[in-house]
Amino acid sequence: MVRLKGTSSEREFLHQVIDESGQNLLECLQCGKCSGGCPIASNEVGGPRRLIAQILGGMKEQALKDPTWWYCVSCGTCATRCPVEINMYKVSTVLCEIAEKEKVTPSEPDIHRFEELFLESVRKHGRVQEMKTAMAYNLRSWKPFKDAGMGFKLMIKGAVSPMDMLAGKRKEDAAVGRIFQRLQQDKNGE
Amino acid sequence: MKVSYYPGCSLEALAKPYNNSTRSICRMLDVELHEPLGWSCCGSSAALKIDGLLSVSLAAHNLAKTEKVGPSDVLIPCPFCYRRLLSAQQELQADLNLKAKVESTIEADIEGRLSIHNILNFFRNVVGLEEIMSRVKKPLNGIKVLPYYGCYLVKPPGVTSFDDPEDPVSMDQILRSLGAEVLDWDFKTECCGSGLALSKTEKVVELSGRLVREAVWRGADAIVVVCQLCHANLDMRQDEMGRLHGEKYRLPIIYLTQLMGLAFGVEPGSLGLNHHLVNPLPVLKGI
Repeated sequence: MVRLKGTSSEREFLHQVIDESGQNLLECLQCGKCSGGCPIASNEVGGPRRLIAQILGGMKEQALKDPTWWYCVSCGTCATRCPVEINMYKVSTVLCEIAEKEKVTPSEPDIHRFEELFLESVRKHGRVQEMKTAMAYNLRSWKPFKDAGMGFKLMIKGAVSPMDMLAGKRKEDAAVGRIFQRLQQDKNGE
Repeated sequence: MKVSYYPGCSLEALAKPYNNSTRSICRMLDVELHEPLGWSCCGSSAALKIDGLLSVSLAAHNLAKTEKVGPSDVLIPCPFCYRRLLSAQQELQADLNLKAKVESTIEADIEGRLSIHNILNFFRNVVGLEEIMSRVKKPLNGIKVLPYYGCYLVKPPGVTSFDDPEDPVSMDQILRSLGAEVLDWDFKTECCGSGLALSKTEKVVELSGRLVREAVWRGADAIVVVCQLCHANLDMRQDEMGRLHGEKYRLPIIYLTQLMGLAFGVEPGSLGLNHHLVNPLPVLKGI
């Protein structure tokens, strides 16, 4: 079956996704089992089958702006049910990396913001400071009181301490900081 | 028995009850836990999305720390940490170029010799049902529970090779050996919305809401979980689910390890049962 159309740079995109993810999208049957079981697929969020069709059709711009891979929670249901064993969370990683490299504006800024804040907490402290990250996320989203009631209840129940929320409780973890630094240097070609 | 124990970030924060109950039942089962010094975050689903090499490197950093501890059997209660560390070990063994790159990034060598166990595999297959049954002092008679496995423990089978990805049974078996009445349902491995908890809360309310609605309809006293994110999504969003469905939900969400502790005779207070938003103590008071 010949699906490739378009310019050589579009074909290049398909082969880049296949090479970097290790997932042979050319075997895709478009059967739709992935989207049928995918928890985040909906009319608004297309789902894995449509995303694969875009990549196979050389629609690079659409694929890099597709909300599916931002929403992907790496549950592995698609990989479990796919008759040719395509694992789409590996494709999500590659699309996210290409989109970042090519400075494509994230189509799902909320999810992007949360994941960046999560990793920022890991870079700084070595372990993610859960409560502090949640607070920072709600503040940056201009919804400071979104889960405030719940946080208060959890405090009353003794499930979290106010200190966790405000300060976090860890100093720096130099070894983890170095891992982030080295990988960033590689990306910058230093 | 001596095993290495990697708790992960969540179990030090919101999921302290999961951590404390796991530690206390391990003590009762004569399982000695050795926590690696200076462990860090595994990168979880955020690193997996944003940066593949960072994701493998963070997991590998912890593999290296754990290899230093000694016992090659590793217990990892958090399903995210479990699948990330297991997957990284497999990826490094399969790709020597990646291994060299990662080892130079983390400044440590990886032997790749760890036997990584999730909580269900550890209790069901390493400890064993007979051993568990022999420790039961207060059987959970008369309590109707629905086991909820979530995604990361069983999916995808190419990574976890554990139980059945669509209809797992290991938690059912453990719960039965504690004396509980285990109900059946089709939602054992349906997703709760996972890491979208804060960024797409409405999606989590929709997905977790389906689980709670089904569990209530089946007449369950509680849903039993083995993941702190499943716990948070199911326990904390019931008001929002209720508003969506025009219902009022008060369904307790309990960690398997808390029920094991209770059946083994541990005080409910030290199991953190009082920390959940939906108080599970009323349905457990007969024990």
